[in-house]
Amino acid sequence: MSPSQRWQRYRERPFWLLVELFVERIFRGGGDTDAEGVDLGVGLVLTLLAMPGGFVSVLLFDKYGSLLQWLRGQFHVDALLISLPDEYFFIVLSMTVTGAVAVWRWDAMFPDRRDYMNLTHLPISSRTILLANLVAVLFLAALLAIDVNGASCILFPMVVSAAQGTLPFFLKFAALHAGAVLLASVFAFFAVFSILGTLMALLPPRFFRRVSSYARGIVVVYLVTLLCTSFAVPDTLRRTTGSAPKWSFFFPSAWFVSACQLLRNRANPAMEELARLCVPGLAGVIVIAIGAYAIGYQRHFIKIAEIADTAVTLHKPRFGFGSLDKLLLPTPFLRGCFRFVAKTLMRSEAHRLVLTGVSGLAVVLASQALMNAFQSTTSWREAALTPDALSIPFILTFLLIIGLRLVFEVPVEIRANWVFQLLLDADGQESEPLARRVILTAVLPWILFGTFTVYCYLEGMTIASLHTLLVSVWAVLLTNILLIRFRKLPFTCSLPVFKQHSIVVLISFCFGYLIYAGSTPEFEASALHEPLRMLELLPLVLAGWYVPRYFAKNSIELERRMIFEESAPRTVEGLRLSE
Amino acid sequence: MLEAVQLTKRYSSIPAVQDLSFTLRPGQVLGCLGPNGSGKSTTVKMLTGLLEPSRGLVRFDGRNVQEDLTSYRAHLGYVPEEAHLYPYLTGWEYLEMVGTLRGMSRELMESKIDLLLELFSLRPARHAAMGTYSKGMRQRILLIAALMHDPAIFIFDEPLSGLDVTSALIFKNLVHALGKAGKMVFYCSHVLEVVEKICSDVLILRKGTVIAHDSVVNIGKILGASLENTFLHLVDDVDTMRVADDIVDVMRAA
Repeated sequence: MSPSQRWQRYRERPFWLLVELFVERIFRGGGDTDAEGVDLGVGLVLTLLAMPGGFVSVLLFDKYGSLLQWLRGQFHVDALLISLPDEYFFIVLSMTVTGAVAVWRWDAMFPDRRDYMNLTHLPISSRTILLANLVAVLFLAALLAIDVNGASCILFPMVVSAAQGTLPFFLKFAALHAGAVLLASVFAFFAVFSILGTLMALLPPRFFRRVSSYARGIVVVYLVTLLCTSFAVPDTLRRTTGSAPKWSFFFPSAWFVSACQLLRNRANPAMEELARLCVPGLAGVIVIAIGAYAIGYQRHFIKIAEIADTAVTLHKPRFGFGSLDKLLLPTPFLRGCFRFVAKTLMRSEAHRLVLTGVSGLAVVLASQALMNAFQSTTSWREAALTPDALSIPFILTFLLIIGLRLVFEVPVEIRANWVFQLLLDADGQESEPLARRVILTAVLPWILFGTFTVYCYLEGMTIASLHTLLVSVWAVLLTNILLIRFRKLPFTCSLPVFKQHSIVVLISFCFGYLIYAGSTPEFEASALHEPLRMLELLPLVLAGWYVPRYFAKNSIELERRMIFEESAPRTVEGLRLSE
Repeated sequence: MLEAVQLTKRYSSIPAVQDLSFTLRPGQVLGCLGPNGSGKSTTVKMLTGLLEPSRGLVRFDGRNVQEDLTSYRAHLGYVPEEAHLYPYLTGWEYLEMVGTLRGMSRELMESKIDLLLELFSLRPARHAAMGTYSKGMRQRILLIAALMHDPAIFIFDEPLSGLDVTSALIFKNLVHALGKAGKMVFYCSHVLEVVEKICSDVLILRKGTVIAHDSVVNIGKILGASLENTFLHLVDDVDTMRVADDIVDVMRAA
């Protein structure tokens, strides 16, 4: 028997079939519903998760490139010293992404009612199901750690050692970096697992369902906070002379970066102290997670039959649409569909995944810009007027708007769209106004409130107003451009087919990003000193306003008709004269 | 009055429905019977305007519905064969969305939803996601969505699937009551006894064509048997007893 045949036979054993089934469930959704969500595919999910690390590594070429350092007049650069903030950032990034995935997939990690109904009547012991699911969860932890950090484990050491030019330096740096980020990822995964698992093991199932979403919210807030510490913690740790500050014990990312520095012989006493927490911390969360898993399994899965038919009656969710109706949603189409789109964005797993991925990328790039803004300045006020700091709302709006436009194309429960086909007027031409309202209400208020408040506090009313105005105008123009010839109700049309111009569109997005979030803040940084220079942007604004109108005016009626199915253009069109 | 005039639908030149004509008057409950693949669903989709006929037309009050589908659909209540719903919406939210898209006033819509949910025994689960609903619960949500705007025409495609005994009985009486109230009801089903009991007329399809169209009483008189026997006589040439025996033989095979 050949090894492949032997492997095939091994795979066909019930235990491994169960493991495969559970891995599928974790990736493709579980829960107690028959929801037929969009299958984004494991490949796409893994690619989305790997993106932030890869992107940030590539952006660091600017910092570590020997030619650029030479041009800046930096001739003797200590790579290990200047890489500390970036090392910390990658550790935080790996913890945040892995932790966020663990939070997001929490519901799918335990065998659910569907598994219960399909498996318990088969001659398989509940212990086998428990172990198979545990193996699937461990596999997920390992896969996540490798996927999230894979790109940075190769690219970041290459970038840092580019100026050093020695293989031993590269290998040592790469090994320590890989060790730190992988262990940080594993820690984050099991930490989330142990927190939620402990709650699951301790609380009654019904109560846990209610508490779970709040607990997950708190974990997400902590992870975002962790990400935001990346521009302050490394420098503070480096400058600490005595023992480690008490707050640093609450940031596991500080333990891992300290361990990394210790192994590079660059640790101060504070870092040595923090590094000692790594191994017991990691072992602790793994033990707690596995213990909580076993108890949680016993309490929830075994008793699913007792709680399966209990209808979960929630209170009517309040979205505060009442006041929105009068202002933004004057027609029944807009009122009905706006609510549908908003609820889909908030509740559909596939859409939340894509949006979380894009938002994560936006937060990462914004954090990076914030970190850069602080590197060359000495005060908050000075930093706020650098192109890097000014670019933050542009980065966030660009990626969030693109992200929303992208998720509009991802269908949800496509067979349920009959209700819209039946009720909507396909010639009403309200899809575009609806999509514009959704995008702008989802993105603008938060960004504008944050930007205006921060700049008003730091730089005064005039600069805050100008900056906020520019961000708003750019966001509106970008939205209008992205919605040219948009004629679908979001989420109700089949996935678009790959067209030849798709690659051109992708390249246009990259160039668009450079202009939107790169060149505009550069110009703004210089123009804010002489506000009248802002008028130089007027021709660009007028062009951005005119182009979508031109396309709308010059489209025929058929091109404006709402569609529920994307069909590829046929190579040969039959005339069907017989019909 | 709803009229189907020589309705024909072809998929890539293969006819699914051919030259189907009938009239549905106010107060009439027309049952539509036929085995799988007989063209029932295609007929329903053409009647609702979800599918455009390859030939022929559907008239409502003398006007071709394709000329103004939106106003035609305002008079339509439709319950599809399968309850495809958005699982993350609650029953209340779904009905609220349908009512809003139908242009109902908020007060009227909310009071109707509330009362209908109560009558269909769904009130306790109204704020739970529909993904947690049983098939029967989803079917009842669809029934409420079809009823709440008081339409003139009802098109029911297998509306009893998944309903419990009480809900099914309520529904059968409801169809009677709708007929009495002067509504037009087009009722597709596999359950012959139900069609026999609640429909005034029946349309039997086979391979996309009408093979019988008359009142239930007349069809019974002509063939002198129950609707089940009539149906088997006209449509099915399968020896059901022999097939059942064959299944048991396969099951027992070593």
